[in-house]
Order: sequence, then C-alpha cells, then structure tokens
Amino acid sequence: MLIARRVWAILLGLAASSLACLAAADEIPTEGYRLGQGYPINSTGLRIGGYTSLHAEAPRNGPWRFELSDLSLFLTWQANDRLRFFSELEAGDAFTATEGGRSGGHEARFELERLYGDLLINGSATIRFGKFLTPVGRWNLLHADPLVWTSTRPVATENLFSKHATGLMLFGNLPLFERRLEYQVYADLTRSLDPHRSENPFDNAAGVHALYGLSERLQIGASYLSFELNADRRRRQHLVGLEAIWRHHRYELSTEWVYRTPQDQGPSLWQGFAQGVAPIAGDWYAVGRYELFEQRGDLGTGQAGVFGLAYRPLPPLVVKFEYRLGTHNQQTAPDGFYTSFAVLF
Amino acid sequence: MLLRLAAILILLAAALPSGGDDGPHQIAVITAADHPQSQLPLAAIKLIFKRKVEIDPAGNRWIPLNLPVHDPIRRAFSLALFDQFPEDMEAYWNEQYFQGIPPPQVLGSEEAVIRFVATTPGAIGYIDRHSVDPRVKVLHTVLIQR
Repeated sequence: MLIARRVWAILLGLAASSLACLAAADEIPTEGYRLGQGYPINSTGLRIGGYTSLHAEAPRNGPWRFELSDLSLFLTWQANDRLRFFSELEAGDAFTATEGGRSGGHEARFELERLYGDLLINGSATIRFGKFLTPVGRWNLLHADPLVWTSTRPVATENLFSKHATGLMLFGNLPLFERRLEYQVYADLTRSLDPHRSENPFDNAAGVHALYGLSERLQIGASYLSFELNADRRRRQHLVGLEAIWRHHRYELSTEWVYRTPQDQGPSLWQGFAQGVAPIAGDWYAVGRYELFEQRGDLGTGQAGVFGLAYRPLPPLVVKFEYRLGTHNQQTAPDGFYTSFAVLF
Repeated sequence: MLLRLAAILILLAAALPSGGDDGPHQIAVITAADHPQSQLPLAAIKLIFKRKVEIDPAGNRWIPLNLPVHDPIRRAFSLALFDQFPEDMEAYWNEQYFQGIPPPQVLGSEEAVIRFVATTPGAIGYIDRHSVDPRVKVLHTVLIQR
C-alpha cells in the first residue's frame, strides 16, 4: 500500500504539472521546463524527465484490469562536446487493480530500460556503448506510450526479437542521392550492464538498421538481425524487417513487417501491421490498424484489427480509446476494449 | 496547398521587420566571426538544426540556437527549412528527447543570439539580415519572398 500511495502522489504531481503546462502552452520560456522535453538543470549538462502511463483494459473473455503501466525516468548528461550519457529507469506495473478485487503494487518491478554512453566521432558517426533499444522497425525505438497512437502494441514489434540489446552500436547518417541515409550497426556483446536481465534477452546478436527519407514526408527502412535468444541458445535466427512511414500535416500512415527464420530446422514466421491516423475534429484523431501474425505451434495465423480514437491536446500528452477484434489472436492480442492516458514530461 | 503555403509565406514576410526595400526578405544564419567555416549549404543547416549532425568538419560541436516559437523570424526560418511551423516540429522533438537528444536552446532575442554566437565556439543561430554586425559571420542567407 505504501508503494501505491507514493505512486499516486507522484501521479497527482505529474497531473498538476501537466495541467499547468496546458494552461501555459503559449508561453514559451527561453530556459527551464517544457512538457515533453524534460528539465535542464542550469548549465550542468543534466536533463531529467520521463513519461508515465495509466492503462485500463476489458478483454472480451477475461477480467478487466487497471494498471499504472509505466513510470519511466530519463536522465541525460552532456558531459562534454563529444560525450553524453542517457539512462531510463522504469517502474513497471507499479500499481494494478483487477476485477477479482486484487490491487496494490504486488507486481511492481524496476528495470534499467536503457543505459548508454554516446561518443560523437564526427558529423556522420557516433559510437554507443551500453544497453539500448534494438533497432528493428520504428515502433520498438519509439515505443513509449505518449509517442504512439494505440494503447496496444502490435504483435510484430515484440515477439520475434528481444526489445533490448546490450553492447556496441555505430550510428549516424551519410549522404545518399542528395538526401541522408540514417544507419545503425550493432552487436550484442555483453550482459554485464544488464544484470537483472531484460525480458527475453539476446544471447548473441548483431544487426543493422537503415532508414532513408525519400521525401520530407516519406521514410522507408530496412533491418537485418542475426541472433540467439538466451532462452533458446542453440538456435540461431535471422530476421529481416521492412518499414515505412508517411506523414503529412496531421495524417500518418505507417507499416512494419518482420520475417524470422531459423538457421537450422524450425518454422519461419511473418508478422506485420499497417496503421493509419487521421484528424477528425479539434484534437481528436481516428486510428485504425490491421495486424497479421504467423504464430508458432498450433495457434495458426492470427489477424487483428484495432479501431480507436485518440485525444492529443498537446504532442506529449494523449488519451486513447480502442477496440481490438481478431481471429486466432486470443493468446497474443486478445479481443477487447483498451484505454490509456500517457504523458511525456 | 501551394496557395496556402504562399499565403502563409506572404503573411510571415509581412510580419517580419521591414528592411526598407521591396526585395525578398533575408534571414542570416550566423556563427562566430572567427569560425573556420565561411559558408554552409542549406541542407547542412537543416541537419544541424534537427540535431542530426552535431559535429562540424573540424571536429567541434555545433550548438544550434532558436528564437522563441512565436518570433516571426523563427517561424519563417522553420517554414523555409522544414516546411513546418515550430509547433508542428514538437512531435519530432518529443521523439528525439525520448532518445536523449534535446531540441536547440531557445534565446529570447536577436541580440541574445548574436552575443551567444559571438562568444561561444560552435554556436550557430539565425537573425534578420539587417541585424548582422561585425561580431558574427554569415554562413548562409535564407531568402523569404515577400
């Protein structure tokens, strides 16, 4: 109960600061705090911030559930001209309440979601060392609830590979046909920075991700990843991903597809989704998504459609309502109503 | 769409300080007078202000500076570079912040930009072309059609 009280105190504080920022949205300070961009601490090079989200779900064939899903704290430190550090500490499922009457912080867990240092080599290359989000597709890199349009996460973005890697990455951008090619090349070398282990961690992985802007509005990307999962060490897998996003004013279309195949025997799996977002009135948006996902075993090929509304009065603050409906989806993406509130602070 | 963009540009140009002539308005992209580079293409400026390029060819860090979001020069500069108003860029900066990269620092006036640029190696800002003085060097001039 003590944890729950503290969490609620934090949430109330955040809500108050969010409302204050809503009221003062037109006043742009030259220094200090802005919602969605953290708080810079004087001239120390430090910036603190984070995000939080509240979720409620009512699956068609299960009990309803309410939870404080994420409370993430960011700390960024620009140590000097070429070196900066970033960490994200996440308290997951800090408070839950379910239809059966259980409540509290019983399932609370703290995780070092990201921890890395960036060494800027030149204008085209930076070396990253530490624990980072696996660069497969766009969703995994920007998965925070305030940045995405639905409360539910597409199946294709979380099951076929580990969401994190711990090791080395070289990233940056290069000129290509009068535009820039953004690239990330990485290797999962050590688990020493991730002692508590991420969910479904890599054991040995290397990959590349590239993103190219065909125009100001359209970006296409591709990923390749060779890996073993810690839970299945003797089976090397290869994964290829494709992605695209088109944005124009407040409209958005995006798609991501991944294909994973084992080096030796075993089934290959396709998964992917296509999503559209369109403004309907004021700060309200209509959101629709179609998902297709092959599954292991006898589960068959699942499909799911997500239809929803999102209210986004400010870019870092969003309230979402959606219904998911599908076939062969009960294990991984069950039918039901989902809603959430999220704010980047 | 083009008509809308043209109308927006005309309104912005009308809001900019008058230079006393009828030609296109000019925004100067400036850096310190002793900065080793003497010019910079618009494509490079765009990458610097999106913080996609953070180190210059000599190995020094770029420090991009913005004017306040409602400043007409900021709005014209943003539209010329990114085809978007500053408030439309906020979603982009939220995504960058999630990845540990904050947006450019905001200074309150052109004079503040000139002072900061003149005394801070790697600082790069933009001001009305008519406000340029010997403390800074012009790397590029952005034309805004009246």
